[in-house]
Amino acid sequence: MSAINAVELEIIRNALVAAAEEMSVTVWRTSRSPVVRDILDYSTAVFDAEGGSTAQAARMPVHLNSMARCLLDILADHIAIEEWHEGDIIITNDPYSGGQHLPDILTFKPVFLNGRRIAIAGVLVHHLDVGGGAPGSYHAEATEIFQEGFRIPPLKIDEAGIRNQAIVKLLLRNSREPEKVGGDFASQLAALDIGVESLKVIGRRYGADQLAEASRRIQDQSERAMRAAIKAMPDGTHEFEDFVDDDGIERDKPLRIHARITVSGDEIEIDLSKSSPQAKGPVNCTYNMTDSAVVCGVMMSVGSDIPANAGCYRPIRITAPEGLCVNARSPAPVANRMAVGHRIVNTVMGAFAVALPGQIPAAYYGVSYVYAFNAFKEDGSRAVYFDLECGGWGAHPEQDGASGFSCGFHNIANAPMELIENDYPITFQRYGLVPDSGGAGKTRGGLGLERSFRVDSPEGTFTCNFDRFRTPPYGLDGGAPGALGRMTLTRVDANAVTDLGSKVSGLPVSKGDVLSLRTSGGGGYGDPGARDTNARQADLQDGYVSGGD
Amino acid sequence: MSLSGPVRIAVDVGGTFTDLQILDEQSGATHAVKTPTTPDDPSKGLAEGLKIASESLGFQLSQVTALMHGTTIATNAVLQRRLACAALVTTAGFEDVLEIGRHVRKEIYANRAEERVLLIPRRYRFGLKERMCADGSVETPLKPAAVQAVIDCLVATKPEAIAVCLLHAYANSAHEEQIAEAIALALPGVPLSLSHRICPEVREFERTSTTVLNAMLVPTVQGYLNNLRHSMSTLGLTAPVYLVQSNGGAATPETAAEQPARLLLSGPSGGALAGEVLSKALGEPNLIGVDMGGTSYDVSLVVDGTVRQIAEGEVDGCPVRLPMVEIRTIGAGGGSIARVEAGGRLRVGPDSAGAVPGPVCYGRGGTEPTVTDANLVLGRIDPGFFLGGGMRLDLQSAEKAINDRIADPLGLSIDEAADGIIRVAVSAMAAAIRLSLFEKGLDPRDFALVSFGGAGGLHACDTAEALGATRVIFPRDPGTLSAWGMLSSDLVHDLARSSLMPAIASSSAALDEIVNILLDQGAAALDVDGVAAERRVLPLSLDLRYPGQGYEIAAPLADANSIAEAAANFHRLHDAQYAHCEPHVTPEIVTVRCAATGRLAKPKPRPFDAPEQARPKATRPVASAGTRTDIPVHDRAAIGPAGSLSGPAIIEEAHSTLYLPADWILRAAPTGDLISTRREGEA
Repeated sequence: MSAINAVELEIIRNALVAAAEEMSVTVWRTSRSPVVRDILDYSTAVFDAEGGSTAQAARMPVHLNSMARCLLDILADHIAIEEWHEGDIIITNDPYSGGQHLPDILTFKPVFLNGRRIAIAGVLVHHLDVGGGAPGSYHAEATEIFQEGFRIPPLKIDEAGIRNQAIVKLLLRNSREPEKVGGDFASQLAALDIGVESLKVIGRRYGADQLAEASRRIQDQSERAMRAAIKAMPDGTHEFEDFVDDDGIERDKPLRIHARITVSGDEIEIDLSKSSPQAKGPVNCTYNMTDSAVVCGVMMSVGSDIPANAGCYRPIRITAPEGLCVNARSPAPVANRMAVGHRIVNTVMGAFAVALPGQIPAAYYGVSYVYAFNAFKEDGSRAVYFDLECGGWGAHPEQDGASGFSCGFHNIANAPMELIENDYPITFQRYGLVPDSGGAGKTRGGLGLERSFRVDSPEGTFTCNFDRFRTPPYGLDGGAPGALGRMTLTRVDANAVTDLGSKVSGLPVSKGDVLSLRTSGGGGYGDPGARDTNARQADLQDGYVSGGD
Repeated sequence: MSLSGPVRIAVDVGGTFTDLQILDEQSGATHAVKTPTTPDDPSKGLAEGLKIASESLGFQLSQVTALMHGTTIATNAVLQRRLACAALVTTAGFEDVLEIGRHVRKEIYANRAEERVLLIPRRYRFGLKERMCADGSVETPLKPAAVQAVIDCLVATKPEAIAVCLLHAYANSAHEEQIAEAIALALPGVPLSLSHRICPEVREFERTSTTVLNAMLVPTVQGYLNNLRHSMSTLGLTAPVYLVQSNGGAATPETAAEQPARLLLSGPSGGALAGEVLSKALGEPNLIGVDMGGTSYDVSLVVDGTVRQIAEGEVDGCPVRLPMVEIRTIGAGGGSIARVEAGGRLRVGPDSAGAVPGPVCYGRGGTEPTVTDANLVLGRIDPGFFLGGGMRLDLQSAEKAINDRIADPLGLSIDEAADGIIRVAVSAMAAAIRLSLFEKGLDPRDFALVSFGGAGGLHACDTAEALGATRVIFPRDPGTLSAWGMLSSDLVHDLARSSLMPAIASSSAALDEIVNILLDQGAAALDVDGVAAERRVLPLSLDLRYPGQGYEIAAPLADANSIAEAAANFHRLHDAQYAHCEPHVTPEIVTVRCAATGRLAKPKPRPFDAPEQARPKATRPVASAGTRTDIPVHDRAAIGPAGSLSGPAIIEEAHSTLYLPADWILRAAPTGDLISTRREGEA
């Protein structure tokens, strides 16, 4: 047996990435619910025989690294690697055992060749509903995780190839959408088998020892690349902070996210100790969620080209003491973890901007603008229109921020309005850019969006989980912050516009009422006075800036 | 030589060459001619090609029955931004739909946004106070004052073209028609594209993007078609000229001038059509067509004898919602650059040296080694016979670049490094093809590969092996294959109309109304084309979905009373594509389609004058797996159907080189296409 060379290594890497991609395509191709298919809220990954990640098909940064961490937690605290046998599948959705929030169900399956474990396949899928206090398992008023849905501790759903149907039955009996969740769950497990088969082919072709060596070296390559990127930064300590409006329960209590990054040689420490204590409401992150957010911030700052695997996380040390909103203690609620998650990305990138002036953009909008309208129709039936908006990118030192474009922690498509109007009793009033919402600067922040719709059903309720209504996305180096987000309601019988808060739970609305969301713009970069005259002129001509000041 | 009977000609005008295929309609024999493209006015190169063909083959242009014309004019106009300065009229409040797009980014960790093409700046987008509802009813009527306000803006702007896309215009086009009338009066002669005519389908952003692209292309494409008409009449060609569309069907110049967005994939669709013809001729129902050029790698599919089409594609990131041949473009080609990255990773592509500076061996200033350089170093390409001897390659520079940039840093020999570059490139290409089949629930082992394009033949067998496919077809006349495919085109008008309704029997009346509109439109279009009744077919289909889904599947429809059959078909197709179906759920009709077709006579099979058994013209040392051996080099023209060749061998032809690895056997089919097969027991 000879050591493999760089050529074989790259070919094995292509094969491992292809195995992850084929699992991913299987989930996409066979899942039932539009949420999985259209929002692409799932990820797949391949791990070495000891659980170190080697290849991923991450659709969204929020999933980056989260499966890897979860697997390591399971191995360390719940099911040791010696207990993983051929034909087993290990499952969990427990945020306090390595997960992020309950709708995300993680499954792992070891791959055996001639009795030897050669790899592990992993699939994470966000499921439509796993019970709890509100549809979609997004209970905005939850104060403990027990209100958020059905909880599965790490356990074996398959043992030696035999499925424990009792677990499946329990899960589906606790879901509001048992058929769709059942279908999506079947597709998740089918994808796992596709991955196992692909990995066996690779194992047969290259041999278990060579595959193990390749996995180690693939991780080492990423580690070296990440260390080189960190080493290129000057040594030093930098701090930055940003805020989440509130947790939806204690409305006047902003949450501070604080990062102190210390670059020393080819390693970096990110200390979040000065962040706020955990919140009463469901905006908290468990440690693994925080870890994903920090890694996303690091990748977006210095490592966008480095293949993501266990190697690139090695030079990054994260400190997040338990009991803070960045490492909540059980049973704190976590369903809307994206609120703190986005802000960690903003904060980490802000600290990098101090370390690397002129290289890092100002803050992006920093919220998953999730809302749901539950329509009560004439015939007594209900229909839930669920949507998700984005805002403006922070200005890059060399380029204006993009307007109304996914950034940072998530990456999601908007749905055609004409199809929504065909499907739900609403009529859109406006969908457009919000003038003056991009932070002024030498380069301008991207603009936020306005989306307004009129309620056409007799009654209904409105729920939203927004942020950035109080602390705007920051500008850098003299650039102005982006505009705040805003949510308003105009009642059909009153001309007055009412400002709603960033987090609304089950607000009753009726026919003719108009709901209007404005999302936050991105921060500006550099002195606005130094902006190029032509660019300024173009902004006025295109109405990105109104010039009324 | 002289052709005395009727002649049909297909011309594919590409970026570098204008390829012609001349069909002798009586015998079925075809002849290839290649001339340089004249980028300033491609019709000149086309005329030159016709002149050369008629002189060298001995026919008069009066013998020509039809000219099928594939063109990159529309695609290049978009890529090079040679587009009209246009204005856009939208429903008021929705002027930014074109700019907002669909949010999703491709590079998830980049901290500056990838470039998004904005076809019309915000200052030239005007809102019209009006509103239609999803069911086609009027929510806000269009008033004269609103029309006048928009007309005033347009008159002040003086656009070269105008696009109009109002919400739900596919359901009720009255407001688009009213504003169009006013525009025609106020701005006579300015080309106008209306969304309900260009793309009468639901989905506002995609419809807007398609309509806007169409509007901006009209002046460029009309200008070209005028040149073409002039060139052809100067030449004395009186036969009808047809433009090949993205769906592989042909259109008259009049239709093409109004709907130039339908030409956006004109060139590549010829190659895909060729795949369909080959599939029938060779009895291979499932084919993966691989067109590998210097910078591109286009993959098309023939499944069960029919080329796969999609309802929407994109050009330069802009959605085009029109039926087109499905072509998956993969970032690979002869120009793909090999690099050793930070961390010691050997990576091939996606960056490409393109044509300029090109591979190191071109001697045009390229410094980074490419796949072509690796092929040269290994001996698979003859430095004196590139492009049939048209270009001399610099072997030493290629060796030095691979040595300094790849072999040295990785501790490999030059041959190992060159071989490694090829193997990594092949593994990446095969993975991308596998994945695109996987998405459709297809298995590459059920397919044969068809290889064409200048760089494809060197890697086709290796790629097939990595896919688990056991047969590779090297078609005859690969350099003009697209043009050959176009000889088999029919006249096609793709008509569509979105109207959402449940796919149940009680929808028959509503569906019948739409079907009749489409059939009338189709008949009228074929009347204008002068297609005889017995040559017409008007197949219908429905785009169906389960309620709430964001995507549809097309199912054939016999007539408006056969909804149940179409729905049953949909459940089956959904199961095949997505591995599940819900037979108890009533599907929803989203769009009704009709492909109004005027069938043109199909060419007879080409006769093949088989040469004697192949004798190698030379031998050449070629490196494989680290060792160099002398292997035979054959001239393709000398390979006949009697007997077969065993790999390793090199086969040279005018514009490309084929590499047959060990374990592969090659023979000529009676059609003149070469078929290579992997030896039994090796798969």
